[in-house]
Amino acid sequence: MKMWAYIVRRLLLMVVIIIGVMTVTFALVSAIPIQDRLASYLGPPPKGTPGGYSPYLIPGEGVCPANATSDCPNPFYQYAIHRLGLDSPVYVQWGIWMYDSFTLKWGYVANHSEAAAAFPPADGKPVLTVLGWFLPYSLELGVVALLVLFLSIPLGMYAAQMRNRPVDQGIRVLSFSGLAFPDFLLGTILLLGVLLLFGAANHWQSYGCPGYGTLFDVYGSWPPPGCFPNPSAANDGYPAWLIGGYLSTPTGFPTIDAAIHGDYVLSLDTIFRMLLPAIIVVYDSIGFLLRFVRNSMLEVMNLDFVRTARANGLPEKVVIKRHAGRNSWNVTLTVLGLTIAGFWAGFPVIETIFGLHGVGYILAVSVAQPIDFGLTFGSTILFTIIIVVANLVVDVMYAWLDPRVRLG
Amino acid sequence: MSTPPDVYESSTGAPSFRQRMAPRIAQTKRTWYFLRRNGLAMAGLIILILIAAVAVYALTTPLSYEYMTEYCATNGASCPFPPSVCTYPQGTVPPGPGCYETPANFPSVIAPTWASFTQPGPLPLGSLTVDPPIQYFYNTYDGLLRGSDWSLLISLTIVGAGATIGLFLGAVSGYMGGVVDEGLMRLVDIFLSIPQLLFVIVVVTVLITLLPSSGTDFASHIYLLIGGFLVTWWPFYARLVRGQVLVVREQKYVEAARASGAGRGRIILRHIVPNSVYPVFIQMSLDVGTIPIIIGTIVFLGIRIFPSTYLPEWGTIAALSVADLSAFWDSCQIATCVIPWWQLLFPGLALFLFAISVNFLADGLRDALDPRLRR
Repeated sequence: MKMWAYIVRRLLLMVVIIIGVMTVTFALVSAIPIQDRLASYLGPPPKGTPGGYSPYLIPGEGVCPANATSDCPNPFYQYAIHRLGLDSPVYVQWGIWMYDSFTLKWGYVANHSEAAAAFPPADGKPVLTVLGWFLPYSLELGVVALLVLFLSIPLGMYAAQMRNRPVDQGIRVLSFSGLAFPDFLLGTILLLGVLLLFGAANHWQSYGCPGYGTLFDVYGSWPPPGCFPNPSAANDGYPAWLIGGYLSTPTGFPTIDAAIHGDYVLSLDTIFRMLLPAIIVVYDSIGFLLRFVRNSMLEVMNLDFVRTARANGLPEKVVIKRHAGRNSWNVTLTVLGLTIAGFWAGFPVIETIFGLHGVGYILAVSVAQPIDFGLTFGSTILFTIIIVVANLVVDVMYAWLDPRVRLG
Repeated sequence: MSTPPDVYESSTGAPSFRQRMAPRIAQTKRTWYFLRRNGLAMAGLIILILIAAVAVYALTTPLSYEYMTEYCATNGASCPFPPSVCTYPQGTVPPGPGCYETPANFPSVIAPTWASFTQPGPLPLGSLTVDPPIQYFYNTYDGLLRGSDWSLLISLTIVGAGATIGLFLGAVSGYMGGVVDEGLMRLVDIFLSIPQLLFVIVVVTVLITLLPSSGTDFASHIYLLIGGFLVTWWPFYARLVRGQVLVVREQKYVEAARASGAGRGRIILRHIVPNSVYPVFIQMSLDVGTIPIIIGTIVFLGIRIFPSTYLPEWGTIAALSVADLSAFWDSCQIATCVIPWWQLLFPGLALFLFAISVNFLADGLRDALDPRLRR
């Protein structure tokens, strides 16, 4: 199979998987109470709608007569039920769901939900728009985490060389303690430790903003409003490019945006503040990868060509780096996708703890009571798509490095 | 004409159980030999045995809240839901036996003291504030003790059921091949492409909305939690087993079984499943440690799995202890700052030791069972 044919085949498979994921989501959506579904479909109520989002009008309000003995049906909900196909067979509902999903109609943020309370600007906005606000931050955090991940892969190779010596045991303990340590506990403990080391409450001010303090100051996606030189009163004291204090323009990527607006210190500080959360999510998911690297390295080091290289008198460093290392990299790529999925799954918790405004934070807020199902399903699908795409990239790299994969 | 004697039959008739199991016993002995030389694996095994002992001890021991419940029942007083701690501010009348006096300026924290180990009805691991506005307390010691039962029960059920489903679907898929295999594996692909943690969170979130909001029926909530986990848990096992079965079904002994007329069911159940089950054991032991952590994450994110938040389960306790650090921040505003380190340390340690011991054991098993890594 040619490389392009392999990529096309994988892309088709990806579409099948995304259709499957949408179907699973549809099954879950069908299970939730009908009011919640309608609330996340309808969007903000038109001006003067009696009864707001309640599926039934409360007696005494709006068009419902005050002496009504039971709740009156709300015409908007009658319309929504018809539009979602809830009065039709399941396959029609499924078709409507798939059509809406692929035409990017992912519903609206429901207005009585916890998510809308946490982010008033998100109230009644389309789910996809809101996710779009928060995605760049998560992507940037993901890139930082990926760098941390790549920097720690050599640890596994080193463990293989030091097989069964204290260093190997140490790395083994490190990788397993990562798997055994819950994100939420580790994050909180480290956050506490950092705050105790560098002082407690509002650091930005104690360092005299603007100045942005030192490495680990206070977390959060952006410093408090007082830290900015040209605050706009209309924007809660934030500069005009930082809408509401969490949505940066024009790109949405915090580092890039801060740099565009000439604030290089803040740009650098953003990366520093992402470092600890990134290290935690990677530490929590890297255990398998390190073990895998170590074991595949051990296997490769037992093979004939490595022995030949040694017998020919090559220095050990060259044997490890050129012969064994390069061959174990191939195998390592197979679990890389799994590890990336692992650390992305850690984002809801870590972003909640460190107050970073990414998609994970939105997911965490959306599942709090009252639940915002539109955002919950939207962010889950978004996470899934990111991971499926990451897996695709990893697999294509694997096929490119190891022709046996695409030929076999 | 006489038939020739069956060469496989011993002189006493059918081979005894011992004879039939001889290869497997030898294999177990060999694994044990390699496992014993692995220090970390042995440490894991010892910690696991200790945890199991704690769980058995907890089953046989009435906890302090049970004394309190009895007191409340006989005196007609209203009691908080177990296993909370009864407290009263300094200088007021104690509401009952086993109640703890709290300092006036830090009503939410009772630190563990050395003295509390020696007193009857102690609070050896300190208290855990669950809900500051209503001043609700966990007795951390009680919670962790009883939690060992719940954690082990829930995670063993989930892993056992998930592995069983995965084992059979994987075995069928791998052995049958063709359309069955293709269909099942695409299904597995779809399920595995959703990050497991998020999948569990979403499934549990959806499932709890199906339960009536009132009533404190623990059992249905726990069934639901287990069900929610199972939806996301079997696919990984199915894929694992299928890969193993693809190797095993090409072996000579399977061919021999088929040649001697064994049916599909018999081959799958008697030949393929027992021979592809080791990786499943390893994966199971890894997963057992993960489940309390995931439950903790769900509780941390504010999803109310249990009708009241007070089910003593390790993950839940750890999550509650972390989620409620606002009490700490409040007390830090006052000159003397109390960090509730015991809230973080003890539940965290329980979770951590459990997870890391099964990880060590699983890794040791993998090394012992994989001849390529042994050298």
